[in-house]
Amino acid sequence: MVIDFSFVWIAFKEILKAVPLTLILTFVPIVVGFLIGLAVALIRAHNIKFLSPIANFYVSFFRGTPAIMHIMVIYFGFPILLDYVIKKFNLPFQSNHVPIVVFVITALSLTAGSYLSEIIRSGISSVSKGQIEAAYTIGMNTFQVVKRIILPQALAQSVPNITNLIIGFLHTTSIAFLVSQKEITGAANIVASKNLKFLEAFIAAGIIYWAITLIIETIAYFLEKKAKSYSRSAF
Amino acid sequence: MIDIVGLKKSFGHNEVLKGINIHVEKGEIISILGPSGSGKTTLLRCLNYLESPDEGEIIIDDVSINARKVNKKEVYQLRKKSAMVFQGYNLFQHKTALQNVMEGLVVVQKKSVSEAKEKALKVLQKVGLENKIDAYPSQLSGGQQQRVGIARALALNPEVILFDEPTSALDPELVGEVLAVIAKIAREGKTMIIVTHEMNFAREISNRIIFMDGGVVVEEGIPQQIFTEQKEERTKQFLKRMTPELDYSI
Ligand SMILES: Nc1ncnc2c1ncn2[C@@H]1O[C@H](COP(=O)(O)OP(=O)(O)OP(=O)(O)O)[C@@H](O)[C@H]1O
Ligand SMILES: [Mg+2]
Repeated sequence: MVIDFSFVWIAFKEILKAVPLTLILTFVPIVVGFLIGLAVALIRAHNIKFLSPIANFYVSFFRGTPAIMHIMVIYFGFPILLDYVIKKFNLPFQSNHVPIVVFVITALSLTAGSYLSEIIRSGISSVSKGQIEAAYTIGMNTFQVVKRIILPQALAQSVPNITNLIIGFLHTTSIAFLVSQKEITGAANIVASKNLKFLEAFIAAGIIYWAITLIIETIAYFLEKKAKSYSRSAF
Repeated sequence: MIDIVGLKKSFGHNEVLKGINIHVEKGEIISILGPSGSGKTTLLRCLNYLESPDEGEIIIDDVSINARKVNKKEVYQLRKKSAMVFQGYNLFQHKTALQNVMEGLVVVQKKSVSEAKEKALKVLQKVGLENKIDAYPSQLSGGQQQRVGIARALALNPEVILFDEPTSALDPELVGEVLAVIAKIAREGKTMIIVTHEMNFAREISNRIIFMDGGVVVEEGIPQQIFTEQKEERTKQFLKRMTPELDYSI
């Protein structure tokens, strides 16, 4: 068997159309997950009553189970829940009106949130206690200390870990093809099956994943440099 | 101006402050001496509520706090009356020297950025760092960092500046520059409470010296008296250990 390079190119062009969906499935959950992660990390760092145990459970559960499971549980479970609510309140709406992609994004956002909360938490713990005390002694309140002293440093510290997470997530979006999302892997699968050229299609998909990864890494490199410009290691 | 009355603080079963009474007049320079573990740091940290005392009163200027019935608002008010210079500098690592000094002026005192900057520049000049204003803490020597720390405290124009062993973390050759800055501020009439192990410095700069041991004030008096005619045996023993050069003069 030989590789049909011309088909790699054909597949490449076809799969390229799936890139926007892949980027949406990667970055929307990262952004939503960032907000979830930030809230969860702060709840845990300040050990807030009632919320803290819930936050602990959330992080433990979502980090302890694979993303594919989150997608499946929400894909199959959410409509049942939704139908129940719709019935109860007599809403003019059906659960099968909700696009599948919404379920996928919801699930991946929850996955991302659990990972990001741990990343942000480790960033927060990298800020020395002395700086926090100094901030209090100059008269700042807790909100100001968090916003002006803790988070800027915690987030700068988190950039490399967040980059790794984004790259991991880019690759994780491939499982969305199991619920028939036409993202890169899904698209590769379709082109491949139609033409019975699996190797070529997945080589093309691989090249695209790799290229996107390189772009993310390049952007992250500059961000990292900028974020940590205050620390000696950057000089 | 400052009154500390019956201040007590325990960590678990360890009573670290056993009823401290100290009165400080406006403009006074007080040095607190005492062996390790005597509660000096804890005392300073209680004055700005980095530690909550269990009992007693703290009065600074027009803010008066009773440890038994204190609320958050009072704590914030009290903290605005003092500023602290830490042994480990504790500068904000993500901010330049200038930004470190401006932070409290803008965020807490709500000054405009331009006003804060003007004030911060003036203070940084006073501590001799006018050519380091854009440096981050990681780019400064220990002595320079501590001078930023002093500038940050001074800029807030607090009623009192609290120093906790400001030179203990410094290389010996950098101690002088920091002590010189503290002495300069002292001459300008700022009220200061200084915990230090620099005996000569304390002797030269202070109006009054307080000797603490085991969570109580053992003895206090003018430097001349504390260093040459101690009333208490514990003070005598401590100073003998801390100033071995006295031995030679006997
Ligand atoms: N956060 C804390 N938790 C428990 N014990 C503490 C705490 N802080 C201080 N202590 C204890 O309180 C006592 C007094 O400590 P403190 O730091 O006030 O002494 P100090 O006079 O400043 O000593 P040094 O000269 O070594 O700085 C010590 O026995 C110390 O172990
Ligand atoms: Mg101490």
